[in-house]
This record gives sequence, structure tokens and C-alpha cells, in this order.
Amino acid sequence: MISYEFDYTRPDTVEAALDLLDDDSKILAGGHSLIPALKLRLSAPGKLIDIARIPSLKGIKMDGNELVIGAAATHSDILESDLIKQHLPMFAEGAALIGDPMIRHKGTLGGSLAHADPSADWPAMVLAAEGTVVVQSKTGTRSISSDDFFTGFYSTALESGEIITEIRFPIPAEGTKMTYQKFVQPASRFAIVGCAALRHPDGTARVAFTGVADAPFRDTAVENAVGDWSEEALEAAVALTAQGMEFNVDHYASETYRHHLARVYCRKALKALLY
Amino acid sequence: METINQKQQGKALSRLEGALKVTGAAQYAGEYSAPDLLYGHVVNSTIPKGKIQKIYTEEILKLPGIIEIFTHENRPSLAWFNFQYSDMDAPPGSPFRPLHDAEIKYYGQPVALVVAESFEEARFAASVLKIDYEKEAFTTNFTNQLDDARAPKRGFATLLKPLPPKPKGDFDKAFDESPVQVSADDYYHGTEHHNPMEMHATTTMFEGEGKLTIYDKTQGTVNSQLYVANVFGLSFKDVRVIAPYVGGAFGSGLQPQYQLFMSVMAALELKRSVRVTLTRAQMYTFGHRPPTLQQIKVAAEMDGKITALHHKATAETSRFEDYTEVVVNWGNILYPVENTKLDYELVPVDVYSPLDMRAPGGSTGLHPLECALDELAYELKMDPLDLRLKNYAEQDDSENRPFSSKELKECYLQGAEKFGWYNRSPQPRSMRRGNRLVGYGMATGIWESMTLPAKAEATLTKEGKFRVRSAVTDIGTGTLTVMTQIAADALGVGLDEVEFEYGDSKMPFAPIQGGSYTVSTVGSAVVAACQALRKRLLKIAQKANGSLFETASESKVSLTNGHLSLSEKPDVAVSFQELLTVSGKRMIKASKTNIPNPLTLKKYTRAAHSAAFVEVEVDEELGVINVTRALTAVAAGTIVNPKTARSQIVGGMVWGISKALREETITDHRLGRYMNPNLAEYHIPVHADIHDLDVIFVEEKDDIVNPLGSKGLGEIGIVALPPAIANAVFHATGKRIHQLPIHFDMLL
Repeated sequence: MISYEFDYTRPDTVEAALDLLDDDSKILAGGHSLIPALKLRLSAPGKLIDIARIPSLKGIKMDGNELVIGAAATHSDILESDLIKQHLPMFAEGAALIGDPMIRHKGTLGGSLAHADPSADWPAMVLAAEGTVVVQSKTGTRSISSDDFFTGFYSTALESGEIITEIRFPIPAEGTKMTYQKFVQPASRFAIVGCAALRHPDGTARVAFTGVADAPFRDTAVENAVGDWSEEALEAAVALTAQGMEFNVDHYASETYRHHLARVYCRKALKALLY
Repeated sequence: METINQKQQGKALSRLEGALKVTGAAQYAGEYSAPDLLYGHVVNSTIPKGKIQKIYTEEILKLPGIIEIFTHENRPSLAWFNFQYSDMDAPPGSPFRPLHDAEIKYYGQPVALVVAESFEEARFAASVLKIDYEKEAFTTNFTNQLDDARAPKRGFATLLKPLPPKPKGDFDKAFDESPVQVSADDYYHGTEHHNPMEMHATTTMFEGEGKLTIYDKTQGTVNSQLYVANVFGLSFKDVRVIAPYVGGAFGSGLQPQYQLFMSVMAALELKRSVRVTLTRAQMYTFGHRPPTLQQIKVAAEMDGKITALHHKATAETSRFEDYTEVVVNWGNILYPVENTKLDYELVPVDVYSPLDMRAPGGSTGLHPLECALDELAYELKMDPLDLRLKNYAEQDDSENRPFSSKELKECYLQGAEKFGWYNRSPQPRSMRRGNRLVGYGMATGIWESMTLPAKAEATLTKEGKFRVRSAVTDIGTGTLTVMTQIAADALGVGLDEVEFEYGDSKMPFAPIQGGSYTVSTVGSAVVAACQALRKRLLKIAQKANGSLFETASESKVSLTNGHLSLSEKPDVAVSFQELLTVSGKRMIKASKTNIPNPLTLKKYTRAAHSAAFVEVEVDEELGVINVTRALTAVAAGTIVNPKTARSQIVGGMVWGISKALREETITDHRLGRYMNPNLAEYHIPVHADIHDLDVIFVEEKDDIVNPLGSKGLGEIGIVALPPAIANAVFHATGKRIHQLPIHFDMLL
């Protein structure tokens, strides 16, 4: 399908982008979800504002005791970053599982979070790694905890007139373990189920899922049940996976099978953190 | 029957046109152009049943580049009678007529053709053409309408697809009294759609004076020619259909599809050349393998002798045609059984008529049959292969006649040996590799070997080369290569000296390319024509130099180094140039029609056989199934070209894996439409899904089936794979899944 006609602008700064942003425009930050949506007329903004090349949004850096990933950092930037490998290795592990090389070189972390596809990989990892989404508008900046960011099916706490500028992560303490495990849709490589899990040195855990329900979520029941990480404790935690959730259903995976996969991938992720 | 010297046959030649195909030099139907070419894009209905109320063409006609919009309201007047729309493969009923009237019979029905100066303009205009419909109640789920099941109508196409034989013995009594029984009524496979690489396309060249040259994606140039001439009231000689290359068809091109109609109609009306290419999504708007529900009951004595067989299939068809397949007839050909009950019924719903898809009926019917045999073997605590050997049919029990040849036993034995079948431990869930369960499964395959009438022409050209012609297509099977080999042997010349020309309705008649009968059918005609040419050349030689060749016969001369000579005395020779001079013609031609003798053939059951052995690995946590190893041993008579033959079987095996584990068109029965008309959601295996595939050709000599002794390989590769995989999944997991494709979640 051919898209309809629209205006395209590529401002150099976030401020310039914010000046252009109105009800008839959409932010373009990679485009692997937005452009197909335009072609299918699922979304029909009159103007696209491309922020993927704004210098201040690129890059991955340390800032005090936080690791900061620019909103326009591509999956590939994250995959190849030494800082990521050192402090948030789960992000490199997860980036390698996204789509294909072309998608990894175009798609961005900020774009993925703002789009909030229920099967996207990053949201689970950002939740598990306690990310904070920093957004900017004409009136200033604010920070949204990842716990509050994903509000529903393709829905986030972003207000109109706001652009994600960076995502900040507390640098995990020495000895923290983390992993991202996913069951891929064979054609799209999206996660039918993805599980991000992080184990702090004190034994506490953060466990988040994507693909399972309308929105990615932290599974606090599982987190609370890992206890001493004994086999019994982990099995008890796995049994609690995604309890009470309303599951996504498609012709590829039924509710029962998705729930089963969530448990299997929860177990895979927790066991990957044992040693 | 004369035997011919087989020098070229048996050689594992690469496809002669291979380089043209991989370099993109080979032109397909949608790639031919003309200076004034117009482009048509089809608009499809967005309701499954009802009437078109209004088509808003006025606004669209004002768009740039738009030439015309054809609908049922302004189409030309066309042929009136059903038979004029019936092609050589049309099922009994009323063939679908594109743009006939306002009535909508199925979702995706073509309702308009937008013609424009460019493809993009046509496609865009088609995408914004607004149509109002009056919706009517519909049903697309045949499993909800089983009360409507009825016997199929008979017709021309069912001549090649016999209905089930009459019941034999007393099934109910024999079944009840047998000590071991297996019974299931939930065998099912869903809708499958053709996804050849090349989508259907037709380019119609408007030649003026009522003449058309049509490049069509088809499995039968003459069939398309016949359809066009009949429907549009044209003379046969004014319609020429050419299909030099076909990018896969597998049955989708047996019948003319609607892009042919649209392209020809627009060309005739606009007096311009017109190309119509279907999109991938439109490939889901004409025909499919029908979803089929099957019941099977098999019983045996304690020693494994099968006593009773009941096999019933209930398949979907459209409201306007009774598409049929041979589903339930195979069991009593493969196994002698005294008490049988074989039934086949149809349920019409609001879909397009199903159509043949690789091994239609065979790949459907062998699934429950060969799975039930596996289940029976487990009940009997017998090896599944031993059970088949115990019930090995020395003759066709259903027709009470011998096989023309049958080396199935060798397929079983050689296949089992090479695969390592007897290394398995019979107990389900008893074999493991790491955290994966391992299972072995096997199944038998069968496909009939038909030979139909066909004509071919052989020519000695003025350059002293040989040219052999047939209207047959090459749908990617290697027909060009194999026919060149056959012609070279029949003429007794090298490959370089023969050119096989094909894919043109002007050439001698060949039936549609399907049913695994092309090598036998066209090959036999090629042999006959080549022998006729040799006879003619000898006759001319005798005329030129009577005394030297007086006593020679056709089988005693050679055609070498540009000369016809006596095989025994090569120095007694006459040059091709001299033969041409003496004949007084620019070239010397001979043509011959091969008509198989129905009386001889009726005495025998002619079939290719196979045995498939499969290893699967199942991830117990996820249910993910991998076919890690598969071997098919095939007995199909003479193998003309081992390389193209192996490719045929491997291709069939990949499709068998696909059918067992991947392919399914999902219908949203609330909307009456297919949900996944694209290759992202209609899953087929990719390279990573296909592992070790092995093919054995068992030696089999057959002097009856046709002069070549060749049985055809198009379908025998697919038929046994789905049941073999289902049986292997049982062996791995202990779970009997009667539905195809087997989804991961069914194993949890």
C-alpha cells in the first residue's frame, strides 16, 4: 500500500521539534511501526517530525550513578555499546533479538517505548531495569517512572506535546544479574512472550513481561516469591506468573498457550540468573 | 513396444533454463510489455455474500491516468452457457463468471477492473473505488453445516477423479468381531492456499484484426486458449496463449483464473494491450485446498491382518461447483481388506470453489489412513512397518486387478535400512536428545500414474538440428530438461542437437500439466513423434539412395554427425542436407499423437509408491516441533533425470512438512473472510526449518504404464510426510494429534 501525502520535517533540536509538534503531527523516530501504520491508514497525521537524527537525543553515557540512553539511540547502538555490555548486559542480549539488522539500525529505544506495541521487547527490559523515562515539552521536562509509563494497549503516560528525550537507569550494584528471554514470532520476530528479569545482590528481583497482555507489566507476585532462589521457591514463583492477567489472544497463541509460555520463559529467565 | 536406447535419460542434468531463471533473464507472464501497454488492477468484494448496490466509478474515472473501470454494469456481452466457461478441469456445476452480475458469492470476489496508463495509477484508483453492498446472511464454516453433507455430482473432471468404490463385505460385523480396533472421527485439516513464488498474471497483446497473443500464468496453454475463445466468442486460431516460464503453480494454474478473463476483456474492449497481475493477497481470492473432516475405523486380527476399513471424508465446496478429490479410495489399494466402507461427501458454503493443490485428495486421505495404521500397530504391539508388510497388497484389492509394477516393499526395506528405523525404541517418550524428546514415524505414500493423450512434433531443421515441440508448460518441474533428454534418446542424438520448444498453444496439443502425468503423457508423444521422424528420414534416404538403404529399418539407422547412416555400417550414410534437398522442403517434420490404449491400461492399477521415515525433536516445554531428519524412498518407474527428480521429491517433502506443521488459512467466520492472506501470517517453512532430507529411488521396471516406464513424481513426495510426522510426534510425546497443522499448544 502506498501512503497518503504528508509533510516531513527534520529539525536539528528538540526545541525546534517541540515548536512543530501539534495535534496534526506525529514524531518519527525510526519508523518501522509508524510508517506501516500510515500505509494502512491506521494513523493519518498531516506532518511527520523526524527526531531520529537530533544530536542531543543520540548517545549512551554515564551521568553520576545513572546510565543514560538517548531516546534516538538505535537498537544497534545499544547492542554495540561497551557501557551497556558492562552495566546493562540484558539490553545487549535483548537488542540482538529484535527483528533483523535493518530494523536494529533504524529502530530507536525512544520510538519503541512511545509506540508501546504490546509485543515490543524494550518495555519489559526498561521495567526490569527500573528505567525512568525523561520527557520534554514546551513547559519543561518531567521524569516518568517506567512503572507508571505503560498504561494500556499502545498507550503510555506521554501527554500530547511531549517528546521522550532519554531513559535513565540506576547503575546496578556489583554482582547484579539480568537476562531477557523471548519466544519469537517466526515471521515478525516480535515477542509472543518476552521476560526480563533482574536479580540484585541482596536476592531481590524485578521481573517484567511483554507480549502477554495489552501492556507490558512487572510481575510483583513473581518478584516477591523468589525468596532464597531455591528450586522450590523458583517453582512457586513461576506458578504465580501473570496471574489474573487478561491475555493477548491471536491465531498464533491461545490464552492457555500464552500463559504456559509466560511460565516457561519466567522459569528460563529466573534460572539464567542462578549462577 | 520398441525400446529406445537410453543414453541421455538417467543423467542428472541441471535445468537447461536454470541460468536464465537465476539471472532474471527468463520472462514470466507479467513481465512482457508493449509500447501501449495498459495496466489493470482488480477490485475485490469486501463482503462474503449479497449484492452490489452501487459502484462509484464517476469520481475515480476523473483520476489521472485512468482509462476505464469495468464492472458487471458495463462489461461486454459474453458467452451465455455454462459449458462455455468450463475449462478442461472445471468441476461439475456452474463455473464462476467474473463480472457476471451484481451477485456476490464469496469474500474477495473480483467486482471491478480499473485500467490505467500505469500500474501505480490503476492500483491507487482500485484502492479508493467505493462500492455499496447489500449484505446477505452467509456461512463459511462447513463443520457447522454437516447436516447439508451430500454425495458430489459427477462431471467431466470427475472422470479422472473416481468416486469411492461400493462397500464390500460387511464392515460393521467385521469391525465389531475383530479383536483389535482403532476408531477416530476428528481428523481434520484446515484451508490451505497456493503460494507459488510467481503470482498469477496475464499480459494480453492486442494484435489487431481480432488476434490476441496472451502471456498467461497457466499449467495449460491450450486450456487457456479454449477458455478465452469460448467465453469471448473468438476463433481458436486468433487466440494464442504462451507460457514459457511458470514460477510454480502446483494446481493453481490448472484452471484459467480471473486475471486471464480481466486482461483479455480489457484488451478486446479497449483495443490495447493490457496486463493484469494479482497481488499476494489476491492469491487468496480464487480456490484453495478444501478443509476436510475425516473419520476412520480400522480393525485387525491379533496377527495384524486388517479385517475392516471404514474411511469417510467430508469436504468443503462452494455453492456453485462440486469440487471433488480422491480422498478415501487409497486404503483398499494399499491394503487388502475384505470389509470396506468408503464414503466421500461435500458441504457447500459461501466460499470460492476449492481447487487442486499438490496431491489433491491423496495428501488429505493418507493422513488419517496412515495415522490409524500407526495407532493399530501400537494396539497390536507390532512395529508399524511390520504391520504394513503383514498387509502388503500384491494386487489392488479395490479393483481386483494387478499393479503394472510395484516395488513398495523395496521402498520400505531400503528406506528403513538407510534411515535406521529399527534403531528406535518403540515406547513413546523413550528417546531423548538433551531436553528434547525424539520420535520416529513412518507412513506409506501412493499416487496414481496416469497417461493422457498428447501430440508432439519433431523436425529436422535446415541447419541440420532437431526441434521437438509440444504445447506443454514447464511449471518448474524440469519438463524442458527431461523432454530434451527423452527426445535425444528417441532420435538417437546428443543433447546439443535437440531443442525442445514448449509453452505455446500453437504447438501440438498437450493436456494441462498436473496429476504427475506430464513425463508419461508428453514424453510418450515425444517418443512417438521422434520415431515417426526417424521413419520419415529413412524413407527419404531410401528415395535418395534406394539401393543402400533398401533393407534398413528405422531401428537400424543412426543420426550422427549430420548424417543418417546404417548403425552396422556407418560409412553407408546420407547427409541431412541431402535429405532436405531430396525432400524439397525447408525442413522435414513428423508429428504423432500418443493415445494410451485404455483396454490395456484398464487391466492394471498404475501407481507410484513411497515410504517416508521421519525423525522429530519436540521441545517439551514449548511444544516446538522440528523435523530433524526425513527420508523418502520412492518407486516410480524409470527416473529420467535423477537431479530434477530429487528436486521434485525434496520439494514435495518440504511441502509435507509445511502441511503437517505450518500451513493454514484461518477464516474469521463472523466476517466470512480469510484472516492471514500474506506470507507473514500464512506460515511456510524457511530454510532454518528444514534439516536433513534424503531421497532414495528404488529400481522399478514397468513395461505397461507407458513406453518410457516412468510414473511421474509431482505428488508422490508430499503424500506420506504429514502422517509420518504425526506418527513421529506421537512416538516422541505420546500424544495423538489428529488435526493438521499440528500446533505447538496441542502438545501441552
